[in-house]
Amino acid sequence: MIDEPFAHGSSIIHRIDPRFKAVFAGALSVATAVSYRFEALFFALGLSLLLVIAARLAMGLVIKKLMVVVGFLLLLWLVLPLTFEGEVFTRIGPVKITRPGLILSAQITLKSLSILMMFIALVTTASLVTLGHAMDRLGIPAKIVHLLLMSYRYIFVIEQEYRRLSRAAAVRGFTPGTNLHTYRTYAYLVGMIFVRAAERADQVYKAMRCRGFNGRFYCLAEFPAHRRNWIFAGLMTISLAVLVLLEFTNAAQVLT
Amino acid sequence: MNTDHPIICLNNISFSYPGADAPVLDQLDFDFYAGERTGLVAPNGSGKTTLFQIVMGLLKPDSGHIKIFGKTVSEEKDFVAVRPRIGLLFQDADDQLFSPTVLEDVAFGPLNLGKSKQEAVAISRRMLSSLGLEGFEDRITLKLSGGEKRLVALAAVLAMQPEVLLLDEPSAGLDEKTKEHLVGILKNLDISYIIVSHEFDFLAGLAESIYTLQNGKIVLDTELHLHEHVHAHTYGRQPHKHD
Amino acid sequence: MLISGAVLAAAGTAVGLKKIDYDRIARVGILSASFFVASLIHVPIGPASIHLIMNGLVGLLLGWAAFPAILVALLMQGVFFQYGGITTLGVNTMIMALPAVICYHLFAPLLAKGRKAVLAAAFGCGFCAVLLGAVIVGLALMFTEEKFLEVATLVVTAHLPVMIIEGLITAFTVVFLQKVQPSMLPTFDGSPQKTANSQK
Repeated sequence: MIDEPFAHGSSIIHRIDPRFKAVFAGALSVATAVSYRFEALFFALGLSLLLVIAARLAMGLVIKKLMVVVGFLLLLWLVLPLTFEGEVFTRIGPVKITRPGLILSAQITLKSLSILMMFIALVTTASLVTLGHAMDRLGIPAKIVHLLLMSYRYIFVIEQEYRRLSRAAAVRGFTPGTNLHTYRTYAYLVGMIFVRAAERADQVYKAMRCRGFNGRFYCLAEFPAHRRNWIFAGLMTISLAVLVLLEFTNAAQVLT
Repeated sequence: MNTDHPIICLNNISFSYPGADAPVLDQLDFDFYAGERTGLVAPNGSGKTTLFQIVMGLLKPDSGHIKIFGKTVSEEKDFVAVRPRIGLLFQDADDQLFSPTVLEDVAFGPLNLGKSKQEAVAISRRMLSSLGLEGFEDRITLKLSGGEKRLVALAAVLAMQPEVLLLDEPSAGLDEKTKEHLVGILKNLDISYIIVSHEFDFLAGLAESIYTLQNGKIVLDTELHLHEHVHAHTYGRQPHKHD
Repeated sequence: MLISGAVLAAAGTAVGLKKIDYDRIARVGILSASFFVASLIHVPIGPASIHLIMNGLVGLLLGWAAFPAILVALLMQGVFFQYGGITTLGVNTMIMALPAVICYHLFAPLLAKGRKAVLAAAFGCGFCAVLLGAVIVGLALMFTEEKFLEVATLVVTAHLPVMIIEGLITAFTVVFLQKVQPSMLPTFDGSPQKTANSQK
């Protein structure tokens, strides 16, 4: 149920230092999120598409992941052009479709897809452990890094416990429906997960004390320096600059 | 080797869990000397894990005194001082391996003892390779198999270079091959240990004397007596070897 | 809007992190993992099904530490399921964690009262945690475009079934915890040491 389908690979993107990838994923996403001009947005879409291609990911799976957002975006296309007031673009019977509504829908669609693809190409191409180490090296507070790593470590253990519990409920004839009995059963499952998790946490804390825990965690990962990291950084900085320029200057003027 | 004073000395220890009718440990006395290799065999729920956690100061007994390495330990700070010298292997390796990677987990103890990163990494690599775990350094702990987890947890405990090992059901859930591997490792260690297990065959190869926990007390059985006893109750109906 | 969301979430997380010392990292991390797993549970409602949110319960169990816990859970959701990019992380954390903390302060004191009060308080906690989340969504939309006020009302109404189910499940869960492991609930100030262990 829980896995990291894009984390392992041998593409050039996979081999780039995760610290560089994380920094540029953040910078490019923010720049895309605050852009409105279509020149900039289409550039962001093209760039994110290139990154996904360079990462040589299973395209079917990428599309499947994008579909989650596409569903939401379709809803947006149904609602915004109808409810948004402004210049009428066209009428279908009694329904008027407004130009600002269409523009906003298009902007949100381009932004969402670009940002999501940047995330897939640059963030999910490293395992969460590597990402945690990268965050540590980037100066993110150690507490949040170790909270993340600790949480990641035990998700799988807890998920297995949940599966055991729900199997146990199923073999005793539990069939979910829309009724209080169902909700109470799920509540007990949730309660049990939390009780087990708390007990687990006590044991882990004891194990830590046994090994001399004194309030410090350590990251030992090394990220070897490599020329490709700086080439990547250069390319991404240029892309970022182009994105910002396209947003803040009139592209038509630049061309003429 | 100093055999005059026990390295672990439990005196009149009682412990009961809140809401339980009978105490798990009832005025228990136990002495453990350097160089001993002791087995403790008893059914589940008889307080073996509780006993280990009391020795480590993780649970506080309702009454009694504990002396470790000749010194009385009662408060957290006393236990903090002795914990690095006693290695406790937890029953569930998932409790013990909380670090994201194998190397970080094994190095956690040495780092806490004040070793530099290089030293800690060197110790950890040495320890891993001595247990036949070369190349495991960058493996993600949660993706290890059950047997691998147990061995890495043992490496993490040994990396602190303890003087005594407390092993809580080390053979539970292991396949025969890993079990043999573990027996081989433990036999060749130059260290005193107490092994808790309910697998008599596993204990028989590793322990020089075997005790049981009965009614909250530790009772020494002569090996022969215990052998019959365990067979009659636990292994009587299962196929087993006689040496 | 995304930026102010991120700034506020960062502030909340900073407060939350201040409140947890290193001794509690394991506990909060593991509870955050179970929160993540709980949010994978799908509960039927009529012909459809919804997944649980449980931010009210997380608030009750963790107080301010709910901020970092929820941030971490959302980050993992992003990495595992690609539910959202980096930019929405802040806003989403606010939508779930701020109500969790507010509900903790509103309802935790009531847990010391009788059984009926506990049931009502826990229901209120689960219900309001989602309600406030929807209100924050509404507010966020209002800042982007005033016309969205109607949509905001729509968001709240659309979430009504979710609120009721979250309320019910939170109520039953709290009653369960009170029976099985009362030290986890805030009236007992559940510090890790006090938690009674079941013997392994």
